[in-house]
Amino acid sequence: MLKRKKIVPYYYILPGLLMILFFVYVPVISNFVYSFFRLSSYSSGKVFVGFDNYIKLFTSDTFFIMIKNNTLYAVISLIVQVGFGTIIALFIESKLTGRLRNVYRNIYFIPALISLTAVGLLFNFVYSPEVGLLNSALRAMGLQNLTQAWLGNSKTAIFSIIAMSQWQFTGYITLLMVVAIQNVPKDYIEAAAIDGAGPIRKAFSIMIPLVKEQLLVCSIITIIGAFKLFTEVYATTSGGPGNSSQVLGVYLYQNAFLHDKMGLAAATGVLIFVITVTISIIQIVVTKSGKV
Amino acid sequence: MMKKMGKRLIAVWMLGVMLVSFTACSKTNDPEDEQDGKEVHVEQDKGKAEKKVIKLFHRFPDEPFNSFIEETVAQYEADNPDIDIVVTSAQNKPYKEKIKVVVGSNDCPDVFFSWSGEFSERFLREGLIMDLSEAYNKDTEWQNSLLASQVNEYRSGDVLYGIPFRLDAKMMFYNIDMFNDYNLEIPKTWDQFIEVCQTLKDKGITPIAYGNQNQWPSSHYIGSINQMVVNNETRLKDLDPTTGEFTDPNYVKALEYYQQLIPYFNDSVNGLPHDMARNNFAHSKAAMLFAELVEIPYLADENADLNYGMFGFPLIPGEGDPTLLTGSPEGFVISSKTKYPEESIAFLKYFTGPEVGKKEVQQVGWFNAGIGIVEGLVDQKLLEAYEVIKNADKMAGWFDASLYSTVANEYLTAISDLTNGDVTPEEAMKKIQKVAKEAQKTSQE
Repeated sequence: MLKRKKIVPYYYILPGLLMILFFVYVPVISNFVYSFFRLSSYSSGKVFVGFDNYIKLFTSDTFFIMIKNNTLYAVISLIVQVGFGTIIALFIESKLTGRLRNVYRNIYFIPALISLTAVGLLFNFVYSPEVGLLNSALRAMGLQNLTQAWLGNSKTAIFSIIAMSQWQFTGYITLLMVVAIQNVPKDYIEAAAIDGAGPIRKAFSIMIPLVKEQLLVCSIITIIGAFKLFTEVYATTSGGPGNSSQVLGVYLYQNAFLHDKMGLAAATGVLIFVITVTISIIQIVVTKSGKV
Repeated sequence: MMKKMGKRLIAVWMLGVMLVSFTACSKTNDPEDEQDGKEVHVEQDKGKAEKKVIKLFHRFPDEPFNSFIEETVAQYEADNPDIDIVVTSAQNKPYKEKIKVVVGSNDCPDVFFSWSGEFSERFLREGLIMDLSEAYNKDTEWQNSLLASQVNEYRSGDVLYGIPFRLDAKMMFYNIDMFNDYNLEIPKTWDQFIEVCQTLKDKGITPIAYGNQNQWPSSHYIGSINQMVVNNETRLKDLDPTTGEFTDPNYVKALEYYQQLIPYFNDSVNGLPHDMARNNFAHSKAAMLFAELVEIPYLADENADLNYGMFGFPLIPGEGDPTLLTGSPEGFVISSKTKYPEESIAFLKYFTGPEVGKKEVQQVGWFNAGIGIVEGLVDQKLLEAYEVIKNADKMAGWFDASLYSTVANEYLTAISDLTNGDVTPEEAMKKIQKVAKEAQKTSQE
């Protein structure tokens, strides 16, 4: 009787389990399977090609450009979003902001609320070589020499996109860090103040060690986001000029829906999956708990 | 015991709820249910015979073109009460992506826009679009109502797979006032062209407005140059994905000719969209623009007073065929899965025929392949443009649309890099050859 009772709870989680199975794991596994085939969305032919798609992916001229761009995006985002985001959070939660604390919080967070596509279109105007805001501002400041076709120059395109993302998401990380900092017990900070610690000392000796886990989570979110990057690039350069701003996500999309190479797209998907899962596992191992 | 039974019942019930919600999901996913307009029709027509629904998918969502299509469709529905045409549309780039996905599904639109050449021919190879040859060959009235040279662009071998909706070709547009100011003559040859560009540049004028942010504009330059320097047979062989190699050294030469033009373009070519370059030309910020004839209405919109003319792409001595006119009609095809083949053909015949063509040129400034559509037209620019197309014996389709998708992508990428000075013509062709070789394999499967 006791043993049978234990089965009952499983009935309750069955619907959820089935849904996760159907909507999460089945697609992931079938994507894995598809990556070994040459298949197209509109022809019936489905040919087993073994590791062909992977070989194509790893030997393509754009592979290193993509890995380089995704990694650049991750590194810069870590520095700017997590680094500056934390500094801004510390600033917002310090005494300096006073009653304006809420206003600051909102100001930093607002860019994160705008849809990615809208931001892409917006920055298309900002970066436009002739009438764009950025070049106009540079000209107004007498810095004509610095004006650029920001998205049209293969040297600046990816950095322009990365800069746009920092503008958008630093506030988001700031908000996450604000929440963590607010959870730091007031007694510690007061005790430090009595001991004569200034704001910088307080930040480094008390705040940051106590929000370490949150910092790690933010870093993981940022890195995973960097490897899943798609909309920002798609809405601005589609990977151009040339292939200079190509990233894994856009490559996947273009192969699937533009060149009808579903198998190659699936292989790219598997690569992104492997990268992001590895990063997640590192997070679980490093924090030991896996708790967020 | 009762308690346990109860729990079991709840579990079974939950499973049931879940399954029902699944079916409910799949129901709302049915696109026909999403067509609000259609449901209204069904309500109204209760008791009458069911209407035959023809789905039309096009890529002209901008005004006034979209309204023109809506009006034309409404007129057809009024004349044919048993037909209900459901129109959807998407912009150029998303259209290219969407159509490839829906064409293989069971919800393929019955009549849809498709570029002639490779873009449509791969659908034809998969048996996804209808062979119209039989219907067309039987119907002499239909044949006599259309310009054969343009209809032929929608043929592959003996198979006719589409009908043109708007005719188009690429010409060099030039600012007459600027040319007069500096006593410039219309250049016929490449050397004269470069000379004109140099003179303009010396006077501080941007010779050519060019925006290649979306990459397709470059393919029109290269397409036109290739036609003149590459042997025609070689060129056609290379356009076929199963035999394409692009090893002929003249392709490198073509890119070198293109390179000669780079100093005469405006700055930041790759950062500027084509329509912005067009606006610059319209506002006399540049002397020339390599543009499509369908852009005439846009130019008129932007600056009605612009005094401009057009000339053919300057002749380059080479092994190619200089009589080819760059451009090809854009038109509509019919899905081979359509439930109403005859009705779809009848609609297509009307939609791309002379009657609609007359209104089309008057209302939106585009012409279809209908004969006699320019009667009563007063706009000199449009008449001139129509003559260019009517007199062309042979067209050379848009280069990017004629190429296999991956090769086209590589070609455009290479030219984009070349424009920025990141690669040399030789390097660019090597990359293209590599992709062409891969395409030979994959396209045959």
